[in-house]
Amino acid sequence: MLTKKLPPLNSFLSLVSRRASHVTRQQYDVIVVGGGHAGTEAAAAAARVGAKTLLVSQKIQTIGALSCNPSLGGVGKGQLVREVDALDGLCGRAGDWAGIHFSILNRSKGPAVWGPRAQLDRQRYREFIQSELLSTPRLTVLEGSVEELLVSETNPEQPGHHRVTGILLANGSHPVSASSVILTTGTFLSGSLFIGQSTSPGGRIGDAPSSSGLSHTLKERLGLRVGRLRTGTPPRILRDSVDFSLAVVQPPDGHPTPFSFLNTRTHCKPEEQLPCHLTYTTPGVERVVKDSLHLNCHIQEDAKGPRYCPSIESRVLRFPGRRHQVWLEPEGLTSDLLYPQGLSMTMPPDVQLSLIRQIPALHRAKIHTHGYGVQYDFVCPTQLSPALQVKNTQGLFLAGQINGTTGYEEAAAQGLWAGVNAARCALSMPTVSLSRTESYIGVLIDDLVSRGVTEPYRMFTSRAEFRTALRPDNADMRLTLKGFEEVGCVSTLRYQEAVRVRDSLQDAQATLQALSLSSNSWKKQLPDIQISEVKNTVMTGMEVLQYNNVSFEMLASAFPESLSRHMEFSQRLKIEAVYRPHCNLQKKEIERIQKEENLLLPHDMDYLSLPVSMSQEVREILDRVRPSTLGAATRLQGITPAAIVHLLNYVRSAELRERRKHRKQQKEEREEELCAAKASLP
Amino acid sequence: MIMLPSIYRGIWRAVHTLRKSRGTPPCRFLSTCDGLPVGLADAETIFALSSGHGRCGVAVVRASGPASATALRCMAGLSRSLPPPRTALLRSITDSQSKEVLDRGLVFWFPAPHSFTGEDSVEFHIHGGPAVITAVLQALGSVPGMRPAEAGEFTRRAFQAGKLDLTEVEGLGDLIHAETEAQRRQALRQMSGELGHLYQDWTHKLKRCLAHVEAFIDFSEDELIEDGVLNQVDRWVCDLQAEMEQHLKDERRGERLRSGVQVVIAGATNAGKSSLLNTLCQRPAAIVSPIAGTTRDIVETALDIGGFPVLLSDTAGLRESQDLVEREGVRRARERVEQADLTLVVVDCAHLPSDAQQAAAFLQEHLRSVLPTQEQPETVFAADRFLLLLNKTDLLPEEQRQKLDRELRRVSGFPPVCLISCHTNEGLQDFLTVLHSSVKTLCGDPLSGAPTLTQARHRAHLQQCFAALAQYQRYRDIDLALAAEGVRLALTSLGRITGRVGAEEILDIIFKDFCIGK
Repeated sequence: MLTKKLPPLNSFLSLVSRRASHVTRQQYDVIVVGGGHAGTEAAAAAARVGAKTLLVSQKIQTIGALSCNPSLGGVGKGQLVREVDALDGLCGRAGDWAGIHFSILNRSKGPAVWGPRAQLDRQRYREFIQSELLSTPRLTVLEGSVEELLVSETNPEQPGHHRVTGILLANGSHPVSASSVILTTGTFLSGSLFIGQSTSPGGRIGDAPSSSGLSHTLKERLGLRVGRLRTGTPPRILRDSVDFSLAVVQPPDGHPTPFSFLNTRTHCKPEEQLPCHLTYTTPGVERVVKDSLHLNCHIQEDAKGPRYCPSIESRVLRFPGRRHQVWLEPEGLTSDLLYPQGLSMTMPPDVQLSLIRQIPALHRAKIHTHGYGVQYDFVCPTQLSPALQVKNTQGLFLAGQINGTTGYEEAAAQGLWAGVNAARCALSMPTVSLSRTESYIGVLIDDLVSRGVTEPYRMFTSRAEFRTALRPDNADMRLTLKGFEEVGCVSTLRYQEAVRVRDSLQDAQATLQALSLSSNSWKKQLPDIQISEVKNTVMTGMEVLQYNNVSFEMLASAFPESLSRHMEFSQRLKIEAVYRPHCNLQKKEIERIQKEENLLLPHDMDYLSLPVSMSQEVREILDRVRPSTLGAATRLQGITPAAIVHLLNYVRSAELRERRKHRKQQKEEREEELCAAKASLP
Repeated sequence: MIMLPSIYRGIWRAVHTLRKSRGTPPCRFLSTCDGLPVGLADAETIFALSSGHGRCGVAVVRASGPASATALRCMAGLSRSLPPPRTALLRSITDSQSKEVLDRGLVFWFPAPHSFTGEDSVEFHIHGGPAVITAVLQALGSVPGMRPAEAGEFTRRAFQAGKLDLTEVEGLGDLIHAETEAQRRQALRQMSGELGHLYQDWTHKLKRCLAHVEAFIDFSEDELIEDGVLNQVDRWVCDLQAEMEQHLKDERRGERLRSGVQVVIAGATNAGKSSLLNTLCQRPAAIVSPIAGTTRDIVETALDIGGFPVLLSDTAGLRESQDLVEREGVRRARERVEQADLTLVVVDCAHLPSDAQQAAAFLQEHLRSVLPTQEQPETVFAADRFLLLLNKTDLLPEEQRQKLDRELRRVSGFPPVCLISCHTNEGLQDFLTVLHSSVKTLCGDPLSGAPTLTQARHRAHLQQCFAALAQYQRYRDIDLALAAEGVRLALTSLGRITGRVGAEEILDIIFKDFCIGK
């Protein structure tokens, strides 16, 4: 719904500060620390579920900021945006509002791997997010720095287990208490910045480093294992200084496709979209990198960087003698800056300038802000449950880069899911999880919590084994209905729209299925189409629609009275027809996995002394990772089929014992009542 | 006439009729719908030999899952109604496609939930010969919705259905452990050497194919991934398909076991070919006379040689003839020799030159005239597809016979030679031993380990793999996601033989082969 007017930013700020005077004395259900992609989605989701929520961010102005690249979506990531939107999250609609260059990547490779993507106007994106948060009921925003995470002493019955009680703010006033706390601190956990040979503490340039108290609590008091990762960002270049005649223009799609299921168009008019430009590195770039290696601290450190979003230094070192692509992306409609995608670098400022000037289109470019590297701690995500809750700390949730991921979309997806569960936890509802058979979010979280990370984790379509079913076009059918009925994070308005879409799609498919003609009649109806079936085979409309060159429009013009009313969904129906046979094939496999996923392993299970025959090695793996379901256990490396059977057996028999005990108890109670009743008789 | 050892006695009944199915492509195991690979859609019903492997009086083949009722109906000829539950019923067991009778045995119907697995199940209690077992397993495989069971799968299903008592289950983990690990190892050991290397090699190639397609899907929009990447994959897939097709076609040992080894008796007229046939099958199946050219058409008979089915054909003596009928007989004889798995070349000793050295040269020449023209000259004797029988040794003086025997052993490049006399049965025992070992080589040895099961399973997986690669080609230009799905399915199918492949492995190859930035 793009009709909404965005309120001016200053009124938002005044409202926040007015509230800030009394926020600290309040009791909250959920506190979210951090205002990036994970934090904003988490806060909004928690509030939607019904929790009284507080979002604490160091700087109000940077809430919803795009810290690195000015774009959203892409291959794999676009699926995540669509899913977050289907669960009523913010980033899809924000992208539609702020997008200035829309394109569907992988257009020629099949709808399952289409990657909706947009270049964004940084300012507009931030404004949209901030205005959404402002208009979210039950949500309060507070500017402040978190000094300390408050947790209870360990429970003597469960050594090593804690419960979150709230946070302590930096100005030292009162503790703010809450049942759930979500940490979305991004790169700020023991973060250090690198340019050339100088380093300084911090998570993003221009922002104060976060308190060491938080990281101390996580590591020392809660005993969480952490690892160290690195990332980086390129220098920003002044648009005026770029010679675009030496780069290749990359135009956007003529008809922008919105991210959100609620939007039929984007805020930016098609003709107002801005182009991107493509250019390449030269041998000179490689030379500059190699000559300046001794001045480059970041690249010499051994923290793990991503293999797929490497700095220009690591690309040149790993694949010497090749040219690499550099995309020049606009930072906004009115911004005079360009973002050179592919030129993330950490060398000293003067070397950065001489490097970019080795690229023809940038031969006289001027740098506005220099590139830099960041190293930061992440919490090994195998210590989390699929609800993204820390296993040994009731009420503590983590989302985003703190879990070892990279990317806005990955952060947003985790934020939303952590927000949902933190709220449900605080409101005494059971936590919920998404399976990898129904969503990319499920794949992402399952990969994190059951496998962990060794390098910054990014989503690819190849990570989803059921990607033909997990398409961008059907994210609403997969998630919106469930999001409303079971999870409680979807508004009635969106739910009603999803129900309308579902009913229309079902109706249209039933009509197509009922449209059953001989292949001869089909040939008469669609003379241009080669129908290879033998004469007089009966084919349904659904089957004909599977043909490569048959579109729903063609069927609708042949049978206008029954089909033309479904034109709104022509593309979705076509995709559905093509993919359905394949998805049906996968369904059995999915059912098998779901059976295993549904079998929960109690997370307080004592694997080391479980009275079953299991090797010490297997016990140690299980004890370390603590898989939450049997399915997750089967995916662990080093787990034998025998161990799985023993686990299954143990859990089943535990259930059985529990049930017997329960029945016995009931029987005893009934007998007692009976006795009492008898006794009361005269 | 000598008494053949009891193991050679008895005629393998179904051989004649089963022969018809020889010409069908090696896809009998696949129940395909729309050419899409099975294994996902109708994989619910499983079957396997449940009794011990090897020769035994009675074998039990078990099927479990929703399609087992269908299997029972069409294989036991019970079109109307199923038998009463858990009651033995004597039926002829037929192949549902070819309608051939495979055996006569007991069938049991165990409707859910009162069965071992808690699902609908059926059991076939059949005769324990490997040929019968293989035939019944093959027939089950051709029923839509059926697939060979994975190791331990019956037990697993029983367990999941809560059919096993908890005390019974205690040992199950170790059992499954032993089954899966040991069987996989055993399967790999069976495929040791060339075959194992071949499958590993294919797995590796498929991984690369998938990695390159995935790289193209996930990264080509942002990255410099050369357009040639997919063409390269096309070539790899094509090559793999060709290799697999060749492999499935060539490796016919399982099929031979099902349809019988084709053994053809060939040679000049009046060499004693028909006598040999009659001796082997212990009845006057072919007319024997001193007149050259008595046998004109092909005379076939089915034999059981040491547990292996053999289809023995007597053919017309090879000679130039003016007689139209005889000429046709000779043509058929030559044709049959070309199709044969094993040819017994019978030579009349009396026609041999008396000098032993000249005899060797004569035989060499004679073999050339008998053997199919396209196989000459170098492959002739290298192949283990020929046995040379010098018949009518009773007509040679003892001294000459020994000299001949010595001389022929000295000459290299000859097929195995047996000196026999169909008249006195002299040398026949030795010949049967040689024949048995040849046939055994041709069929593989089903008596060691469980090759009837594993081979069938491997074959099914390979065929699924092959079919899945066709999906890649079908969708290559239409929808790359569905094409990649084909390669992924292929890899999964092959992975069931050689071990699983995870997504991380594919990503590793991507990052090794391509320079991926963002």
